[in-house]
Amino acid sequence: MPETVADTHESGVARIFAAIRLPVGDPFALAGLVIYAVFIVTAICAPYIAPYDPSEILYTADYDLASDLPPGAKGHLLGTTSLGRDIFSQIVWGARSALLVGFTAAFMVAFIGSIVGLLAGYFGGWVDAVLMRLADVAFGIPFLPFVIVISAFSEPSIWNTVIAMGLVLWRDTGRVIRSQVLSLRSRGYVEAARVVGSSDLKIILRHITPNILPLSFLYGSIAIGWAILTEASISFLGFGDPDAISWGFMLQDAFASQALARQAYYWFIPPGLAIILVVSAGFFISRGYENLLFPKLGR
Amino acid sequence: MNSLKPLLIRTLQLALVLWAVVTILFLMFRLMPGSPLAAYIDPTFTEEQQEALIRQFGLDKPLWQQYFTYLVNLLKGELGYSFRYRAPVAERIWLLLPNTLILTFSSLIVAYVFGILAGAWLAWRRGSRVEVAALPVVLATRAMPEFWLGMVLLAIFSFSLGWFPAGGTRSAGTEYSSLWALYTSADFLSHLALPMLTLAIYSQGLPLLLMRSNMLDVMKEDFVTMAKVKGLSSYAVVVRHGARNALLPVVTSFAIAVGYQLQGNVVVESVFSWPGLGRELVAAVLASDYPLAQGAFLMIAIVVIAMNLIADLLYTFLDPRISHA
Amino acid sequence: MDAPLLSVKDVSIAYKVGALDIVAVSNARFDVPQGSIVGLVGESGCGKTTMARALTRVIADNARIKAGQMQFAGQDIVSLSEKDMNSLRWRDIAFIPQSAMNSLDPVYRVEYQIVEVLRDRGGLSKSAARKRAVELFEMVGIDPGRLRDFPHQFSGGMRQRAAIALALALEPKLVVADEPVTALDVIIQRQILDQLRSLQRELGLSVIMVTHDISVVAYICDRTVVMYAGKVVEDCDTATLLNEPLHPYTMGLKNAFPDLHSAGTGILTPIAGSPPDLANPPPGCRFAARCPFATDQCRVEEPMLTEDAPGHFVACHRAVEAAALREEAKQPGTWGTAA
Repeated sequence: MPETVADTHESGVARIFAAIRLPVGDPFALAGLVIYAVFIVTAICAPYIAPYDPSEILYTADYDLASDLPPGAKGHLLGTTSLGRDIFSQIVWGARSALLVGFTAAFMVAFIGSIVGLLAGYFGGWVDAVLMRLADVAFGIPFLPFVIVISAFSEPSIWNTVIAMGLVLWRDTGRVIRSQVLSLRSRGYVEAARVVGSSDLKIILRHITPNILPLSFLYGSIAIGWAILTEASISFLGFGDPDAISWGFMLQDAFASQALARQAYYWFIPPGLAIILVVSAGFFISRGYENLLFPKLGR
Repeated sequence: MNSLKPLLIRTLQLALVLWAVVTILFLMFRLMPGSPLAAYIDPTFTEEQQEALIRQFGLDKPLWQQYFTYLVNLLKGELGYSFRYRAPVAERIWLLLPNTLILTFSSLIVAYVFGILAGAWLAWRRGSRVEVAALPVVLATRAMPEFWLGMVLLAIFSFSLGWFPAGGTRSAGTEYSSLWALYTSADFLSHLALPMLTLAIYSQGLPLLLMRSNMLDVMKEDFVTMAKVKGLSSYAVVVRHGARNALLPVVTSFAIAVGYQLQGNVVVESVFSWPGLGRELVAAVLASDYPLAQGAFLMIAIVVIAMNLIADLLYTFLDPRISHA
Repeated sequence: MDAPLLSVKDVSIAYKVGALDIVAVSNARFDVPQGSIVGLVGESGCGKTTMARALTRVIADNARIKAGQMQFAGQDIVSLSEKDMNSLRWRDIAFIPQSAMNSLDPVYRVEYQIVEVLRDRGGLSKSAARKRAVELFEMVGIDPGRLRDFPHQFSGGMRQRAAIALALALEPKLVVADEPVTALDVIIQRQILDQLRSLQRELGLSVIMVTHDISVVAYICDRTVVMYAGKVVEDCDTATLLNEPLHPYTMGLKNAFPDLHSAGTGILTPIAGSPPDLANPPPGCRFAARCPFATDQCRVEEPMLTEDAPGHFVACHRAVEAAALREEAKQPGTWGTAA
């Protein structure tokens, strides 16, 4: 079988473009991107899409509390909660929290992980030793309990949850990027750049970073899912931001209000499905990236 | 044997990691705003009473001294005294640990048996319609919030169909002569079923996807082709040579999965009121019972780190290329 | 002369890659006489490995034998049922792979892998199989004490010997060896080839030796089949092939390799250019683009494989002028200019 050996530098540049242009050729990734597009639009246009204020207690025309209405009743697409809040509007506004948490946490994870990986891989020696032991420590910290404790002991806000996630989750990205940098460092063009006296900064920015960006994107797209799931767990356990309507908060509300015993499926199924959709979209896209970056793997 | 040396280094590294985690834990609970005793100091206490309490918990000493005492106590196996239960933390934790371990291991064993078989089967049926349909479903199970899955199962099988109890480990009023009698009773197992199933459904995706992709890689290896050229049966080709090789990393991942599962237990135990470490951690944090929260956190961290080490050990001993180097 | 053990007739094998059909072997035709070593030689990608693997009918998922026959001891391998083919595998046709490292299962001891085939395919009991494994190791010159080793604990040469032991386990009639010594250094190469030769004589085996290395052919093969771009271009006994080749490609190949016997005094001259794209082969002779002697006829009309002298087959329009061409081919300048 003839094998094509691509010039690594050229393909590195081509790869970033491919990565930024997103892996639309892959059916999985395409589905993920479409789901993302819908959710981003929903999150941005939440005030125009949601028929009600998600935390407003609603009353029916005859001034009764509009509580526990089944889907479709009195203009409530997905029904109402026990306190008379519109479930559909909560789902729509929940998209905002989810995407905010997902993208900021993913950015933090990809950013910290890439920096750590770059420094450890490029400089080696004690820098590498220290950073990799730090990664070991991060691997030794039970993730969810850590986020719970940080969220509980600090001001309840989405940002503290996001920071807690970033403090731990960079570990996977850091390790992978490091090994990628190690293999890049020994490539001909990096050696060449060093020989002609390019500065470390220049080599890192010009020759190495472009080649690891797609990996950062890959791990970022996985982290989006983790972040959304974690935020949901935190809210469900009651450590979330009480001012933000999130899908995890909705599930906690439903659970605490005996929605399960009352068979109010319309209340707790939709937030779960919304989470599954967005998180799997992240997984689908990361699969697409993987097929793009490591064509040998996967299928 | 020279294969022991890297393991020794790894063990030392993980001991250092444990020390680092212990230190982080100490700082996390001491440096947070507000007195850790706030929840337990009644506003009606006099100044003297408050100070007595602070002295009793050693909180009047400088931080480094507190840290030192904390380390020494840990080495002696003392985790402090729970505010809420007015009992030693260690006692409480030893009581809850078995419940958590039973839930974790039973669900992971189910998940791995299913995941390995299904993963190998999907690799075998590569490109078929079943595979095309199954992959997104498996990815979606990984995307589920575990507690939500628990809620759905609870609503269906407990509240709607009434097949299983809604929470706890045993029905009210039942007594057992020993822990063993409890754990093997039908009552306990029916309480275990739903949380176990929840965690199993969530966890099967990892071994399944791992097994499938390893299997696809291994089936392309020369030694598998040679097994076919030798005219060996398809069982020998697929199972003896294919699956046996593909299994290595999957088995190793089991240990890592135990660590992850323990963290996921926190929410699922809460949904099913399962009296385990995770639920205790949440309850302790909510009640500001920080010695107990710290103890539960530490126990979970110890298991996570130990499992990382066991994963390395398994990898070393299961792969003859390393164990017979 | 006895009927040949294997008679390959007009075999074509194609790989499906996307919408393309890549014909890796087209109309291959050659015989393997009883008890002889036949070389299958050519550059990588010429279809020799595909051809060899097709003899076991274990080929890539996207490959298919499109046409032809492979008569082996009275049966046609191409049309045999899968069940009958499977009973033929290893018992009658065994295989020595290029890289024994990758073809031995890393997680089992070597003994297990020999015993496995003896029990599963040879019907031996466990103890009989173990005894036979010891015999086999002695036969190929490995200390039977090493049977309990894992493959990675063997040296490259030992692994290749173990692969030979494995191939001989069920006393097959035909052994197909795919580049069995390519990965080894020259001294070990010779040891292993010598061993293979003596075992072949001792056991009356027939061997197909797939190689890109004409010096291996010269060293061990009785007959040699030269393939180029999926086609058999020349087929005759090795001595004639080396001394009086009829096909320009064979002449070029000879110049491109050192002699395994003597420290090569001649200058090595590679054949310039590269083989044609098999997805879209050119009309005429496939070698024409690289052949220093190509004429207009060569570029449009495909030469057929014909028997030029008894037992000497060649596919070249200018075979009759071969003696003159051979002289010209010896000049180093002849090969450099071909584009």
